[in-house]
Parts: sequence; structure tokens; C-alpha cells
Amino acid sequence: MSLPAYPLQQLQPRHSALRHEVRAFLQEALPPGWTASRRAQSWSGFDAGFSARLGARGWLGMTLPKAYGGHERDAVERHIVVEELLAAGAPVAAHWIADRQSAPLLLRHGTEEQRLTILPRIAAGTCCFGIGMSEANSGSDLASVRTKAVRNDAGWVLTGAKLWTTYAQYAHYMIVFCRTGASEARHGGFSQMLVDMSLPGISVKPIPDIAGEHHINEVAFDDVQLPPDALIGHEGDGWAQVMSELAFERSGPDRFLSSFALIDELLRGLGSVAPDRAPAALGRIAARLIVLRQMSLSVAGMLARGEQPVLAAAVVKDLGALFEQEIPELARDLIDPGAVDPEFAATFARTLLAAPSFSLRGGTREILRGIIARGLGLR
Amino acid sequence: MQDSSQIDLIADSAGRLFARHDPLAQADDIWPAPLWTEAEEAGFTLALLTEDQGGFGFSPAEALAPVRIAAAQAVPLPLGETVLANWLLAAAGLDPVEGPLGVSTDGRAVPFGRHLAGLVMLDADAATLTLSRPAAADWQHGSNIAGEPRDSLGALPADILASAPAPMAPATLHALLAALRSVQMAGAAGRVLDMTLHYAGEREQFGRALSRFQAIQHNCAIMASHVAAANVAADLAIASLPQALNAPEAFVTIAAAAKIRTGEAATQVAALSHQIHGAIGFSHEYALHPLTRRLWSWRDEDGTDAEWCRLLAARVTALPERGLWPFLTALHEEAA
Repeated sequence: MSLPAYPLQQLQPRHSALRHEVRAFLQEALPPGWTASRRAQSWSGFDAGFSARLGARGWLGMTLPKAYGGHERDAVERHIVVEELLAAGAPVAAHWIADRQSAPLLLRHGTEEQRLTILPRIAAGTCCFGIGMSEANSGSDLASVRTKAVRNDAGWVLTGAKLWTTYAQYAHYMIVFCRTGASEARHGGFSQMLVDMSLPGISVKPIPDIAGEHHINEVAFDDVQLPPDALIGHEGDGWAQVMSELAFERSGPDRFLSSFALIDELLRGLGSVAPDRAPAALGRIAARLIVLRQMSLSVAGMLARGEQPVLAAAVVKDLGALFEQEIPELARDLIDPGAVDPEFAATFARTLLAAPSFSLRGGTREILRGIIARGLGLR
Repeated sequence: MQDSSQIDLIADSAGRLFARHDPLAQADDIWPAPLWTEAEEAGFTLALLTEDQGGFGFSPAEALAPVRIAAAQAVPLPLGETVLANWLLAAAGLDPVEGPLGVSTDGRAVPFGRHLAGLVMLDADAATLTLSRPAAADWQHGSNIAGEPRDSLGALPADILASAPAPMAPATLHALLAALRSVQMAGAAGRVLDMTLHYAGEREQFGRALSRFQAIQHNCAIMASHVAAANVAADLAIASLPQALNAPEAFVTIAAAAKIRTGEAATQVAALSHQIHGAIGFSHEYALHPLTRRLWSWRDEDGTDAEWCRLLAARVTALPERGLWPFLTALHEEAA
């Protein structure tokens, strides 16, 4: 294998028209007080009403078949909507995981019943999903998970606990990666379970983050009885399924726009009194953004063509996280965060405190580089 | 949409031709005349021209493919400059010229000046494009740190063979040359990555190949990410070439971004390739330096990082509040 190619993604007039529709909607849908520090929440801003409005506009579940409530648009059109939402700092968390990765997973591997009942709710923006991958002793080493589902007469009994699950407190469903059997193979014996969060035996415990905010949780499953059709796809295929789910999780514009609100604030704060070293930093930021955006768009084009760009997405996510993490450092070099208005300071603080997660969530930098090295044939 | 089979054919043909160049056998400043003749006979120098202009109607990506491949092989020829010079002549309504050509705004540090059959210039104030043919003796010899000739004229050419209204401003031409360097850097950086991956797979220390060490794997991954970004940056610059004529503002922005980003990649890729190659990569007998020395030269030629960053920074700071995102998306839509 070798370096992935990133064919330039051509945009058509229909893409431009869609972009302007989304912009007009956002002008009206975001409240006037939607300030930079609110925008800096990036995709962790939660507003169920906003997600439902997006659903009503047809901008969720965009790539799903119409039979499942979707809109049969392609991944590039979805990319345009998503990057506009992120650049505007819209509160997208209520639908984010469902729209980004759960819906494609269920479309590919779910039962017809699951597709018919759940996908239309995702497309409507009324169904919130949580990711059930990491555990207390299984971070990057996902193959060491201990949560297990054991077959019984009524279906499956799920036992264990998942960690770092974003917005589990609001989730209607979690897709839980767990052990369903013993296997000689390191990546064998795993399955994915669709877990209805209203079932008895599930408890959600908040884990405040370093900013003191509650986004992430521990979710315990205490002998939770799941129906037989909770199994997604085939028993034992969990590893391959979760890897393809991660390709969706890693490829989007959410991987280079997390600090965008701070870039806007930096440009505003610098005004006409920029220090002499500002152009070098700003020029580099602009150059990287132009290239990263094209790379991300190119990956959307690969998804639109039905490819599985695991390697290409890993490269974009690694470069994107480096870029996102550099922004608060450049900002504090150019502007004294304590000497400007409170809005800049709040935006700076929020971005700075979120930054460590940029190279952790969705696969650490080290895991991504391992994936890239494998793609290059080194391992 | 470009025809991928056509670009593959062009790339195959350029690959076969330039593979015959041995970057080590070529001492500094020896002109590989047979290679030039064959490149010209293959039509590479007219590749940006339409069929009406005497070219083949290739897309910019097809036209610049041989330039990228020549750079990857450290071929010491002004192929890219000649492609651009003929394109400029055609855009000004003039006929293309045979032989190696240069493009300049000031006659200074012109690539391979002493070997050129013609020089296309835009004078800084008048809006005129001129074609001249300075004699070999008119050139004061210089070279970049890769040993490629960078020659200067003591006086501007008096003997003008042809002139016409300039098809673009000197500042746009400057960006065009920066875009060319970004294409060359992407080509060379990709080859440096290939060489490094190959070396890491072959070279054994502590009883195993270097490529088995995680530290080496991660450094290779970093190199690959930079090469991927450099390729995309160069592709963007190439795709926006037509805008140099009809939407120069957008073209200059994209060319500046491409030059900065490929220059950054050049720095990282060169440094990591030498680190992974160890001492052998530092020796003159090993074929890494013809590429890394070019990367180190090209990143500073036709506008330094600082210069292009100043230009981009001036553009983004002049935008209205929260104008950056619309600015970025408009760039792409104009390029499409």
C-alpha cells in the first residue's frame, strides 16, 4: 500500500446553492446572542430544538435512502451542510453522532426493522446516539474491552461499563461494542449491540471535564436484557464494523474546524494593532486551512463514491488536530488574553481547555500514526 | 473532470523519460541536452496550450504532470518555466518558442539563464510582455544551494524579438512562479518519502528493519501526512492556473497558500528523511541530497514564506468580521 491520493473535489452550482440556503437558515436560526464563546463549543453545543429544525429542512440523514426518511443526497452535499454548521458554531450535538456515524452503520448493518424505525428519527433530528467504545481499561486498545453480551432465551444480557460517552445523558440509543464470544483471533469474538437507553439496568454517571462542564459520562450496564435483534450485523463481525464506523467518525470537517471560532476572534482582536509577527502566523493559518479544507472535501468525495477512506481520513484527522491545537497557542502569542474584551478571553479559554481532546477523541494521534504507518506498508 | 487515463499516459511517458536521468551522475551545471530534446519532442513544453495555440488541449493537471515527475527525479531542466513561458506567450497572442525558456519580472536569478533560448518578461510598470534572447555571455552566473543555475542579467535585454500587451500583472506572474515551485516541491517531497520508506524497510539495526521501530513508523507517518498536504496544495495551485488570467486575486491567494504549505512540507520531509537515513543520507554519493537540496532551495525561491504569509495575512485581516469562512469557500467555488 502507499500514500492515499486526494483527488480534488469539484463543486457544482447546486453545491453553492445549498451552501447559501444553509447560510440563510443560520442567519435566522441562531439567536442574536450566539457569541464567539458559544460558537467555540463547536460540535459539543446541545440544542434538541435546533437539531429538529435542521431535520425539518432535510439536512440530517442527507445520504440515507428516502425509504428510511433520508434525502438521497451525496456525501459532498452533506459535507457542505456540515462545514457550514461548524463554521457558524451551530449547536449540533443533539444529532451529531447519530447523523455522522450511527445512521451509516445501521444502514449498512442494521436489520430492516431498525432501519425503518430508527433512521427516520435520525433524519428528523429527534434521535440522539451515544458511542459505546472506550472502557476504563480499554482506551486506544479497543480489542481489550470487557463489556459482554451473553445470549439467553430472551435475547442478550449486557454487562459492563463504557466510559467517555458524550451526551449519554440525552442519548436514546447507544451502539455498544462488546464481547459476544471467545476467539483465538485478537479481533474476533466482538459484536455491536443497539442498546435502548430506556431499558432497566442502565445507569449514566456524569464525568465533568477539565472545564468543569458535563459532556462525558460513564455508562454502566447491570445485566441489561436486550432483545434478540439488538445485535447489529453479524455476531463476531464487530471489529470490522467498528472500524468502518470510525472511518465516518474521522473524516469530516469536525476534524479541522474545532478552533475556528477562535480564529475569527483572533482576526477581530488583532484589528489594526497586530504585532509584527502576526502576518507569519496568520498567513500560515490561512494556508493550512485552505489545504485542510480541500483534503477533507476530497475525503467526502471518496465517501460519495462508496469508497472506505480509512487511511486518507486518518491523515486528515492527524493534520487537522495539530492545526486545531496550534490555534490557541498562536492566539496567546499574538494577543494577551487578559488584556482584551471578555468575549475573546472566554473564546480563548474554551478552545484552550477543549484542545487536549482534539488529538484523543476518535483515535489518538499515536493510533492514527500507526494506521498511517500500516497504510505505508511499515507494519 | 479530468480524464484519468490520459493523465496516466502522460505520467507514464514522463516517468520513463526522466527515470533515465541519474541525479548523482549529473554534476552541477552540466546541461542534459539529450533529455531536453526528448522532453521537447514529447510535447511537454507546449502542454498548457490549446489545440488552436499549437498544443494538445490538456487540462492543467495533465500539462503539469511531467514537471512534477521531473522534479521528483531532480532533473536539472527549466521544464516548468518553459511550459509557463509558452503559455504566457500564447495568452499574449504570440507564437510558442522552441528551446528552453525563462520567465522573469526583473531578469534576476533566472533558472538556467545561460542555457535559455528565450526569456519572457513582464516589465514592472508598463503592461507589456516581451520575448528576448539574451546571449549566453550576458548572464552573470549564479546558482541555488542545489547547484541549479540561477543567472542574472546585468542589463535588461535590448533585443526584443516580440512584444504584446501583458496577459497578467507582474504580481500574478510572481505567484505563477511560486505555484510552479510548489508543484516541484510536491514532486520532490513525494520521491523523498518513497526513498525513505524503502530505506527504512531495507536497513537493519538491532537485528530488525528500521521500519519495525515505532519511532521510525511515526516519523514516516508525519512525512506522509506532509506529502499528502503538499500534493493537495500543488493540485489546488495547478487547478487554479486558468484563474491567473481571469481571476488573478483568487489565483494569487491559492498560489500563496500552496507555496507556504508545500514549503512547510519541504522543511519537515527533508529533515525527517535525513534523520531516518542517518549518516549515509548525508553523503554526496547517496541520491538523497539532489532532492533535499532542491527542497531547501525551492522553498525560498519566488517569494519566501514570510513574503507569502504577509500577502495572505493582509488579505484575511482586510476581511469584514467573520469574513474568513466565506472567503475560503468562495476561493474553492471560483476554482471549480
